Amino acid sequence: MSSLRIKGGKVHDPANNVDGKIQDICVRDGKIVDTLPADTPVLDATGLVVMAGGVDIHSHVAGSSCNHVRRLLPEEHAADPVPAPRLLDGEGPARSGSGGTVPSTFTTGYRYAGLGYTTVFDAAVAPTGARHTHLELNDTPILDAGFYALLGNDRFLLDQIARGEREKAREYVAWVLGATGAYAVKIVNPGGVEQWKNGSRNVSSIDDQVGAGKTTPRAILETLTDAANALQLPHPVHIHCNNLGQAGNVATTLATLQALSGRRSHLTHLQFHAYGGGNGQPWISGAPQLVEYIDAHPEVSVDVGQVMFGNATTVTADSPVEYLLSASSGRKWVNVDIELETGCGIVPYTYKEKAAVAALQWAVGLELFLLSKDPWRVVLSTDHPNGGTFHSYPELIRLLMDRSWRDEVLKRVNQKMLAGSKLLDGIAREFTLNEIAIISRAGPARQLGLTTKGHLGIGADADITLYAPDADYARMFATPRYVIKGGVIVVEEGQLRRAPVGRRLRVTPAYDASIGKDLKTHFDKHGTVAFANFPVSQELMGPGGGR
Amino acid sequence: MSRFDAVTCLGCGCSCDDIAVTVEGASITSAERACPLGVRWFGDGGASSAARIGSRSVDSTTALAELGQRLSASAGARRTMIYLAAELTVAGQRAAVALADRLHARLDSVSSDSVAGGILAAQRRGRCGATLGELRERVDVAVYWAVDPAERYPRFVERYLPRKGRRVIAVDVGPTRGPADADERLLVEPGQEIDVLSVIRAASGGRPLEQRPGVLARAAEIGKTLASAKYVAIVYDAEPGEQPRDAGRAEGLTALAQGLNTPTRAALCGLRGGGNRVGAEQVMTWQTGYPMCVDFSSGAPGYRPGQPASALVAAGVVDLLVVAGDFRSVPAGVIAGLRPGQIAVIGPGATSAAPADAIAIDTGRAGIHEGGVAFRMDDVTIPLTAVLPGSLTVADALAQLGGIAPGSR
Repeated sequence: MSSLRIKGGKVHDPANNVDGKIQDICVRDGKIVDTLPADTPVLDATGLVVMAGGVDIHSHVAGSSCNHVRRLLPEEHAADPVPAPRLLDGEGPARSGSGGTVPSTFTTGYRYAGLGYTTVFDAAVAPTGARHTHLELNDTPILDAGFYALLGNDRFLLDQIARGEREKAREYVAWVLGATGAYAVKIVNPGGVEQWKNGSRNVSSIDDQVGAGKTTPRAILETLTDAANALQLPHPVHIHCNNLGQAGNVATTLATLQALSGRRSHLTHLQFHAYGGGNGQPWISGAPQLVEYIDAHPEVSVDVGQVMFGNATTVTADSPVEYLLSASSGRKWVNVDIELETGCGIVPYTYKEKAAVAALQWAVGLELFLLSKDPWRVVLSTDHPNGGTFHSYPELIRLLMDRSWRDEVLKRVNQKMLAGSKLLDGIAREFTLNEIAIISRAGPARQLGLTTKGHLGIGADADITLYAPDADYARMFATPRYVIKGGVIVVEEGQLRRAPVGRRLRVTPAYDASIGKDLKTHFDKHGTVAFANFPVSQELMGPGGGR
Repeated sequence: MSRFDAVTCLGCGCSCDDIAVTVEGASITSAERACPLGVRWFGDGGASSAARIGSRSVDSTTALAELGQRLSASAGARRTMIYLAAELTVAGQRAAVALADRLHARLDSVSSDSVAGGILAAQRRGRCGATLGELRERVDVAVYWAVDPAERYPRFVERYLPRKGRRVIAVDVGPTRGPADADERLLVEPGQEIDVLSVIRAASGGRPLEQRPGVLARAAEIGKTLASAKYVAIVYDAEPGEQPRDAGRAEGLTALAQGLNTPTRAALCGLRGGGNRVGAEQVMTWQTGYPMCVDFSSGAPGYRPGQPASALVAAGVVDLLVVAGDFRSVPAGVIAGLRPGQIAVIGPGATSAAPADAIAIDTGRAGIHEGGVAFRMDDVTIPLTAVLPGSLTVADALAQLGGIAPGSR
């Protein structure tokens, strides 16, 4: 493989305490190395900002739910046809595709890389759907990618918890992750999806009973959090709390945090779980309460799930939420109940500046970013495509870095629910380039346990993005000058020129093989896929080894 | 003798994966647990590995070279149709879509002439569905709408909706009957179908209805029954049958299933044919954004749901039809009107099934000679097992073709 010296760039590498220092980055065989021979080819980075490749900790890019979205929204694709990029000769045929809120797979890979992102995780995959997700990731070029397996509404786990078999639950978790090729455990609305599917509609607190068994969301949260930590997974449980999108849900979110106090955990798209009010009181921001808790609890990390104005598609395993959104919005609606494991709901949605709730959501997200003291633990996401698409990340970065621009937008939005909010009162903070590097690369990589991602130190993967400085930060981050993935220059002078295959990020924790007997019994009784056919083949999981 | 357990059958969209296949020598000698349809699908596993250009026997490399030349001559390839027939693995489907993309060709599958009504209804309204395992565990009331699964999906009831403990309502539309052992039947004249659906939906939603005569009064009663169920499955045949059907059926059933989720829980289950037809829609969707009727002529995928392959052939705008998969699954309308030399087939049994003047290249059959992945009727993926060695795969043949045929860019 080739070597490259990236010379003279202004490096922002917060994981290695480098903040805007002019220095060379040496790349050999896909890794960052200490030194290179003097005659090594040089990429002149003079005047450019150098960061590690972006790491998206929470997105929805590949698998059954994404394909349901694509199939539902041909009108979006028709409005955004994407010809194949013109790769360099010998770099293989590029593929055309379509955009919209959930682009086709090849376009997803090209566009993420075009934004300087090189690592992406799909945050919600039903174990039964894992094979499908691998198939789609195999058609998503450039990105190193993985996914989180949806647990917490699955019959086998709920049965173990009801019986007090928490050790068996842990062995099951290890088996599922290995069999599906997943990277982490995802919990969505613990117990609530099962309630939706069994006709009880939902849970409303973490102590509600789930089904007929002695199970509660609290028990599910504790069991899976402890399992992930006991298995020493690189990423802790990735939690989508109960009561998403409900006025007053900040109480549930705080109860969840308190239930897991002292345990390592990650709460996702926190913005959607950070609303005060309810019970006849108007909606208000709950961000300050959550930030206060998170600042004081280093065992907790979160991603924000920022809402951005414009078109989005809500797609989630939290199917009871989508039922309500469909009823209130009148938009078309998909619901799929999945194999005693989880659910899937989809409703296209538009966040409008003049809509009071959307404006509150936008403000809550920004408050979470701007009020937090520790950007390493409050990282960037829009919950693509739920709060906005990944295409909107540059605009979000501008809102964080440029107060005058933020205030200008703030003047335009519906302020009915913002009275007394911190954002309306004025938050002076403007993120620095290093802080942007933290929330979009170094922080997510640290929370994911990716030791070779998110930084530019010796031994790191040579995933590197070079930006041309621009006072318009949205423009700067939307059009990287160079993107290097695993040592390969994929974007040159803003043009996609190469599209190498990405690697799969997954874990294979050890487990007690005796769990297989229980699982076989469960599959024989409740499954419609043979136990022997459930695991995904190694061949399909694609090239691994990204950690 | 070799025995393979947990083998997937692609005889219909049930994709039963509990088949025990015994192989002796180069032949399948038994397929335990397979239904009669499945036993026929497995057959003895015999497969030809021939190729021909018209009546001239050639090797597959020669046939592919000839096809590459014809693709080049096909008006800049923009009048070429790449057509995904049944009996392909996902790998074969991926290769076919890639070739169409490279050629800036048209791309379609058997879906556009079979299940397009359901796909378009779901694109207008969304849909409420469930995987088969979910249905088996939840459903207490099953409505079979103009279908008896025993006829074309023999193990559907046994594996996914066992009769015991469920109330079964058969809706017979004209001569198309539901299961004979239903607890309740509703006989609907074909012209009444959409009215009946509307009344069931209204009644299940608790809307007051004026007194209706005859079948509509019964329909209202059924609507109330469904609303008081715990979980309703509405099962219909999404594939074309021998009897004509109301074009609004799929949309009406979709709306009914969605509406039932306010008073209770419900899912619509469309029965699908075999040979991984669903996979073609899935692969096309993730690679292009569209499940059928794709036009790459602009250099990017366009959606032309009003222009299925059969319509394009009838309009005379297809110069070359390249079928990937089993030619016997291609609807007659897709072939009718093509002139000699305008058809090429790469798939199992191609040399015997394709027209005499076609280029035909035999491959193994997905799930018998080729392992990989297929999609079940409920969009769940199932692994395929190669129980017998195969010769050429469709994916390999198409990849070779992609290396021969010049792209238009």
